[in-house]
Amino acid sequence: MISKLLSGMVSRRRLLGTAASVAGAGALGSLLPVRAFAADKVVKIGFLAPLTGEVAAWGKPGLDGCQIWAEWVNAAGGLTIGGEAHQVEFVAYDNEYDPGKARAGATKLIKEDGVKFIMMLGGDTWPGVQKVAEREGMLFSTLLPSDLSPDSSTLLAPAEVHPIYNVTGVEWLAENKPDLKTAVMCAQDDALGLPSVATYLAAFEAAGIEMLDDPLLFDPATTDFAPVVTKLLAKNPAIVSLDTCYSDYVHPICEQLFQQGYKGQIISCTADFYEKIVEKTSKEFMEGFIFQFPDFDDPALNGEQINFQRPNEFYAEYNKRHPGEWGAVSWEYASIMDLWKAGAEKAGSVEPDAVLAAMKDGGSGKHAFGDASWWGEDLFGIDNALVGDWPVVVIENGKAVIKGFKSIPAWYDKHGKLLVKHMEALDQMHYQRG
Amino acid sequence: MLELLAQTALNATYAASYIALVAVGLVLIFGVMGVVNFAHGELYMLGAYAVVALYADAGFPFFLAAAVGLIFVGIVGIGMERTLFRPLRDNPLGGLVASIGFLLILQSLASVWFGVRMEHIPPSTQQILRFSDSVSLPVQRLYVIVGAVILLTALWLFLKRSRFGWALRASAQDPEAAALQGISINQTARIAMFIGAGLAGVAGALTAPLVRTFPYMGHSVIVTAFIVIIVGGVGSLEGAVLAAVIYAFVHTFVTTFFDGVIADIVGLSLMLLVLIVKPTGMFGTADRA
Repeated sequence: MISKLLSGMVSRRRLLGTAASVAGAGALGSLLPVRAFAADKVVKIGFLAPLTGEVAAWGKPGLDGCQIWAEWVNAAGGLTIGGEAHQVEFVAYDNEYDPGKARAGATKLIKEDGVKFIMMLGGDTWPGVQKVAEREGMLFSTLLPSDLSPDSSTLLAPAEVHPIYNVTGVEWLAENKPDLKTAVMCAQDDALGLPSVATYLAAFEAAGIEMLDDPLLFDPATTDFAPVVTKLLAKNPAIVSLDTCYSDYVHPICEQLFQQGYKGQIISCTADFYEKIVEKTSKEFMEGFIFQFPDFDDPALNGEQINFQRPNEFYAEYNKRHPGEWGAVSWEYASIMDLWKAGAEKAGSVEPDAVLAAMKDGGSGKHAFGDASWWGEDLFGIDNALVGDWPVVVIENGKAVIKGFKSIPAWYDKHGKLLVKHMEALDQMHYQRG
Repeated sequence: MLELLAQTALNATYAASYIALVAVGLVLIFGVMGVVNFAHGELYMLGAYAVVALYADAGFPFFLAAAVGLIFVGIVGIGMERTLFRPLRDNPLGGLVASIGFLLILQSLASVWFGVRMEHIPPSTQQILRFSDSVSLPVQRLYVIVGAVILLTALWLFLKRSRFGWALRASAQDPEAAALQGISINQTARIAMFIGAGLAGVAGALTAPLVRTFPYMGHSVIVTAFIVIIVGGVGSLEGAVLAAVIYAFVHTFVTTFFDGVIADIVGLSLMLLVLIVKPTGMFGTADRA
């Protein structure tokens, strides 16, 4: 059977053709600048995130985005370190959002694969890795700055300051729909949901929006959301906040809201694959839905302040390769790589300590959505989160549209004490986490 | 308040319906074969993916896809009986361990074929029965309730009125005595697996447009089903149905009036209470328990 398959795949003509191509490429290579073909030096980057399981939607699309990033960077000559070109290669490890598997993965990536930098989703998996990071001095990144603490000096949150940026959506809502004054909220009871609950509570309080009930926490294993939605709607709220529910929850909750006759405002951190929600509800129902993650074909991302390279092309290429799979994290890990690449080239080294110092040099960095500052001492005990502007996205006529960029530091300067108060109430400050 | 109670009762009725289908199948398999089928949640998942493949992807009518889900998963059940459970019949833990291995295989196959992400299955109908401004029942949910009532009634009639049903009950009560009366243990096991697996499959198929359909969706369902059959009495079909109704109503009402995390705690406490007060469950007998 195998020989049949092989004979079908590799004909004599194809074998000769391939050999000729390889030989030709070698000859051609000698004629081209050395820079384009200095592939003998390779820098390996670890990708340690859930690629399967319930949280895979916040891991796998990021790896897919990184592959595009690597192809584009390598095609342009790779990484220039001390005048020499280096190709970038990703080594992925599926941690299945399990702390034990994340620890095993981190050890393997460092010891066996020799990676120089490891990107993670973080959250429940970071405690499994923390000791390895401290012992090895490896540079890590997380998408969830609630992982940051003074004990982890080599952990950065360079892409998103989840959940703090959620304040921008509430601030925009209060400015543009000031008549909406009451809200309810639900969230899954885990490391991702709780700090986000504290953030929305602070943002609503700052905006003068009254919470009609305590946030409704549900078990992450919940499959039927009808009772959750019935409870949410019992108080007749003007706003329903979906907090940072995983996309697998946002969809059924929205369906239930639609089926149980809700006609008010919905605000959420994410709305991955929102077009599917529109299909299962209606354009009218989803009109005005506020969330925080834009499609990268949005013209607003072509502004001068945007540091993400060729966002519209990136989005088009991503959708060509992975149709219908664009999600919140598709661009984020790639944007972290932009920052890491800039740091490595500035340091003239790929060693973790040198890159870390270069990335944080001057206290500022080029975040995907504009220049930003390293921040976080108040909340995380360490200035390892890159914070600046964040987009507010609204669904209009079935399509996500950026309505503006709002400053997270500006909000924090005015209402930071509220955020600390609610984070402390939910035991989410760095000195309260176990 | 009355409207809130009515809506919650409708939510609970839907939950009781699909939980009862899954739990009755699990009880039937245990009653006849003495096997704790840990892969039962994955049979539910297979039924849901039958709807993904046939209805959402291939465009066949929803009810045809659900019927195929019942039959297909029933046949998978027969395959499990023949290849996993029958060779291990004399090994008390063999069937349990084999079913754990099989559930991992089914999860992996679903991941490879369909991917790990939640499937987006359009409802077969957008119709909603509105009883008032805040009391409603989507017709898609009504299908699950009606489907459960029809199938469980049919099962009851089959067990009480047909010769195969008598044979199944005889095998469940005393396999050796049943064999001495000329009842084929292999055949009754095959029928029990087909019906038990098929019920899980059709539960998954009917609920597929309403729940999160993904390769690991069976986990929470099997946990709920185990709680239900322990409360109802291991081996008792009537107990499984009654316990499904009690569990669904308690869980749904506590979720609505408190929250989902407390509802889980109350559900488990209910199981512990039954184990303390009546270890065989509401309708269980000491023989199988």
